[in-house]
Amino acid sequence: MERIRFSFARKKPLAYISHLDIMRLFLRALRRSALPVAYSQGYNPHPRLTLALPLPLGVTAAEELGEIVFAEVVGPEKFINILSLQLPGALELLHAVSADPEQPALAAKVCAARYRVYFSRGSDVTGNEKLLEQALEYLMAKEEIILEKKSKKKKTININVRPYIYEAVIIKKEDKPLELRLLLKAGSSGGVSPFFVIEQLTSVIGSALFNDHDWHVHREKLYADHNGTLQPLSERM
Amino acid sequence: MPVDKNVLEKVLARVQKPARYLGNEWNTCLKDHQQATLKMAFAFPDLYEVGMSNQGLKILYESVNSRPEILMERTFAPAADMEGLMRENDLPLFALESQEPLTSFDVIGFSLQYELSYTNVLNMLDMAGLALYSDRRSEKDPLVIGGGPCVFNPEPLAPFFDLFVLGEAEEFLPDLLAEIAALKAENHCKKELLIKLSVFEGVYVPSLYKPLYREGFLCGMEKLDPRAPDTIRKKYVPDLDRAPYPTAPIVPFIQTVHDRAVIELFRGCGRGCRFCQAGYIFRPVRRRSSENIVKTAKDLVTGTGYEEISLSSLSSADYPQLDVLISAVDNALSAGRVKCSLPSLRLDSYSVKLAEQVHHGRRSNLTFAPEAATERLRMVIKKNISEEEIFNALSDAVEAGWQGFKLYFMIGLPTEENEDVEAILTLCRRIRQYFKKEAKRSLNISVSVSTFVPKAHTPFQWEPQLALPKVIERQQLLRRGFRNMSGIDYSWHEAEGSLLEAVFARGDRTLAHLLERAWQRGCRFDGWSEHFSFERWQNAFQDLELDPGSYAYRRFEYDDYLPWDHLDCGVSKEIFIREHREALNGDLPEGAVDGTHSL
Repeated sequence: MERIRFSFARKKPLAYISHLDIMRLFLRALRRSALPVAYSQGYNPHPRLTLALPLPLGVTAAEELGEIVFAEVVGPEKFINILSLQLPGALELLHAVSADPEQPALAAKVCAARYRVYFSRGSDVTGNEKLLEQALEYLMAKEEIILEKKSKKKKTININVRPYIYEAVIIKKEDKPLELRLLLKAGSSGGVSPFFVIEQLTSVIGSALFNDHDWHVHREKLYADHNGTLQPLSERM
Repeated sequence: MPVDKNVLEKVLARVQKPARYLGNEWNTCLKDHQQATLKMAFAFPDLYEVGMSNQGLKILYESVNSRPEILMERTFAPAADMEGLMRENDLPLFALESQEPLTSFDVIGFSLQYELSYTNVLNMLDMAGLALYSDRRSEKDPLVIGGGPCVFNPEPLAPFFDLFVLGEAEEFLPDLLAEIAALKAENHCKKELLIKLSVFEGVYVPSLYKPLYREGFLCGMEKLDPRAPDTIRKKYVPDLDRAPYPTAPIVPFIQTVHDRAVIELFRGCGRGCRFCQAGYIFRPVRRRSSENIVKTAKDLVTGTGYEEISLSSLSSADYPQLDVLISAVDNALSAGRVKCSLPSLRLDSYSVKLAEQVHHGRRSNLTFAPEAATERLRMVIKKNISEEEIFNALSDAVEAGWQGFKLYFMIGLPTEENEDVEAILTLCRRIRQYFKKEAKRSLNISVSVSTFVPKAHTPFQWEPQLALPKVIERQQLLRRGFRNMSGIDYSWHEAEGSLLEAVFARGDRTLAHLLERAWQRGCRFDGWSEHFSFERWQNAFQDLELDPGSYAYRRFEYDDYLPWDHLDCGVSKEIFIREHREALNGDLPEGAVDGTHSL
């Protein structure tokens, strides 16, 4: 038995496939590679592969995390070398480590994620910074931002997600369209999507900015809580 | 018109399921266009998820791309949202592999699987920027060819196509493409090129034949060039073990309708059910050897990584000693935890045993197709199973732990009376009661009822379709009956869709203008109930003063000239007449499996 934790990047064309599609893609790549994947016990055994946090459709990512259990020792290096041969270019394995099987799952550790929302090159959004800044200020000053969610029993529950928005800043770099950086609560104890934040901004400034220009969401990092501070999960694999 | 990559990227960000249009899936073949002597775009006139489930596509992709000098890429019908954005942004229909527009290919080959995809064919030609009618396309335009089961009566589409391939193309298509490349290199004009191609077996060039009419009825086909054959014989692959078969087919990024690897156990079917076109046009029955199947299964797992392999055919349990074969395949696949599945099972105890063998305890629902609910009617359609056999098979299945059944029936079969339809209710009620007593647990029973569509090259080709009001009446009879029967989930096919299917399955070239008109009126994806609009079709019929009934409800006489009489499927008209007579006289056919075509 060996538990391997790994990081990978997801690039443009593959941003368009769902979390389940990514899972299927990994599992089929693993089967082609003939690596000895371990299966769960029970009536309907399934391969022991999990990803730390599902990626929303359309979002690219710099450093996603996953873990897999093998029935025999494979070793992180061999894992990367062999599995990489079976993965499309847009899904790149970055790093792998052999992890303690007793540790809690990555999915249980994720508590925040950092996103970049950027307008594509060539879209002229100059003059919008002020507007966006004010909207952000207004949003962050609110006590409550309500997200309506359907519970399992199809009841609507209201969640105040304002505390989930840890950071929201506008970055303006030379000769680059403006960029929004978000640090958002994520994981099993609740979270908020970057698309919801953009929706909220739109409700303040109107739809023009985000509807008329092309923009893209990129997930940069996942974080774990380490004694009350956020630390990159990739450093704590 | 080239494809602007930046515009395409923006469009993709705004459509549903952009992965339909991405290409670049695992095992995609990307060849250099400059090096190819001939470039073909395989066009599937339905959504990506449907097209990528088609085994024919995968086989032909392999057979063409295994030749270094020619290439094949794919394109599918864009969904409505994508169509809108493509038209708005002047993006022409493109092939997924290279993102090159379809007009940059030498040949566009449509897969014609289903009559209700015909408007998509026209729409795709239009989105490619091509004229619909073959005689209005220029010498520079790609040749538009078609293949698949609908080519056994392609007449409604004839004016849009340059050439059809009748029958199985996996061995022939690469040669045909090479021949086209050679003829093009000799600078033949399109007309001359088509005449030269028409001499090949399986090639049907519709522009070389002119339908003749007497008093408004088709009475023959006039050959317009002496070099063209009188009748076109279908092409078929003599030996499956030697024919090209993909062991590393494309693995889509998104879930498709049939999201699994497929091995074809055998082609053709020896049962001879009289309504079933596949059972006739894929004759003779040809079996893949068990050694080949086991090896192919292993290669497929290494090549694709799929978690499931389907052992497919028209009637899998007819494969000799299938139980032994399944064990061998299972052994070969156990390391990768790959599951086998068996579609198209017969309703008998042997099949239930086979299903048990492949499912290893994962017991959900078993699917069976009795097609008709009375023994008399099953005899008419030559689906010869007795009620006793049905009950034996079902009770075996329940004993083995299956949770329920899905049962397929047809209404509108020749000689059918209301009592045959009521018998569907009676049979289902009896099944339910029987198992309440025997199994002491409730079963999921779902019943799906389609409408019989008479198809070319079957013993029922002369038969009219049951008239629409009658079909609806019988559907309602079933709906009422099932409403009072708890625990049975009843679904049915839209009657109007089946009517159109019959119109195009039996129609002739006079329907081409109707298709064009329907497409102009916005008809697309007619096989999808959320897109199908019978009203638009009715308007199109009215526009051209045509009556759907005159195509769907006409009873052909044996000496009538049928729109597909110049196409030879390999089964003689005498056999069809004999089978048809036998069906109507209710004579007992000589055993279920036709001796001359058994495995």
